[in-house]
Amino acid sequence: MALTSTLTMENGVAKITLAGELDASVAGAFKETIEQAAAQNPTRLVLFMEGLDFMASAGLRVLVFAKQKMRSDVPIYIIGCQPPVLSSLEMSGFQKSVYLQDSYTDE
Amino acid sequence: MVLPASVDVLGDVRRFIKNAAEQAGLDGKSTYNLQLALDEIVTNVILYGYEASGLTGNIVLKSDRTEESLVITLEDTGIAYDPRTREMPDEVDLSKDLEDRPIGGLGIFLAINGVDEFNYERAGNRNINTFTVYRSRRRQQTGGGSS
Repeated sequence: MALTSTLTMENGVAKITLAGELDASVAGAFKETIEQAAAQNPTRLVLFMEGLDFMASAGLRVLVFAKQKMRSDVPIYIIGCQPPVLSSLEMSGFQKSVYLQDSYTDE
Repeated sequence: MVLPASVDVLGDVRRFIKNAAEQAGLDGKSTYNLQLALDEIVTNVILYGYEASGLTGNIVLKSDRTEESLVITLEDTGIAYDPRTREMPDEVDLSKDLEDRPIGGLGIFLAINGVDEFNYERAGNRNINTFTVYRSRRRQQTGGGSS
């Protein structure tokens, strides 16, 4: 299954919805979406991952890129990960740098 | 299963593993972890064993079931490379903020931690990576001690 990554900007918040499977063959497309989001100088980045069925380390590296590309005061939220994807994030220590949440509401 | 060494085949690799895992009766978590392990090592083989070295070729996947385990064998004719020699992130690396990480080795870290046994050997011009997952609950009893 291919990956879809959709960016919307809402009140300065960059929201990206990911669906499908994120491996090395499609990580570049996700990275481009991150670059588009970063170019808008968002106040925060919110990634909706409910529909993401698979994520390889290529996806983790894009998340590292996102954290390094955005200003350090731009928090990253990852919402609704499926358990195996969440497990990869936690095994890799990402919970120390991003907010992993089941759901998201605009503040 | 023989596939050309291209990242375009990663989905086919995962489907092959999913079928093998289902036939072996693995649970969802073990199946996903095995798919991830193969995806990571196959990606390495394609990008570094073949493409970065200017080589082309195939990858060969085999699945063998025993009463106790499912064994997936991955063979390629890229440059010799033992994933176990790759320096993997340790506790200190994994506790660093993402902003301070030059992340390397995460894929192999996830791959090796996702299966019960991982082995590598070089035979002639072939790299042979072997992934073993126990079919019983033995896996949980043996635990996944950190190293």
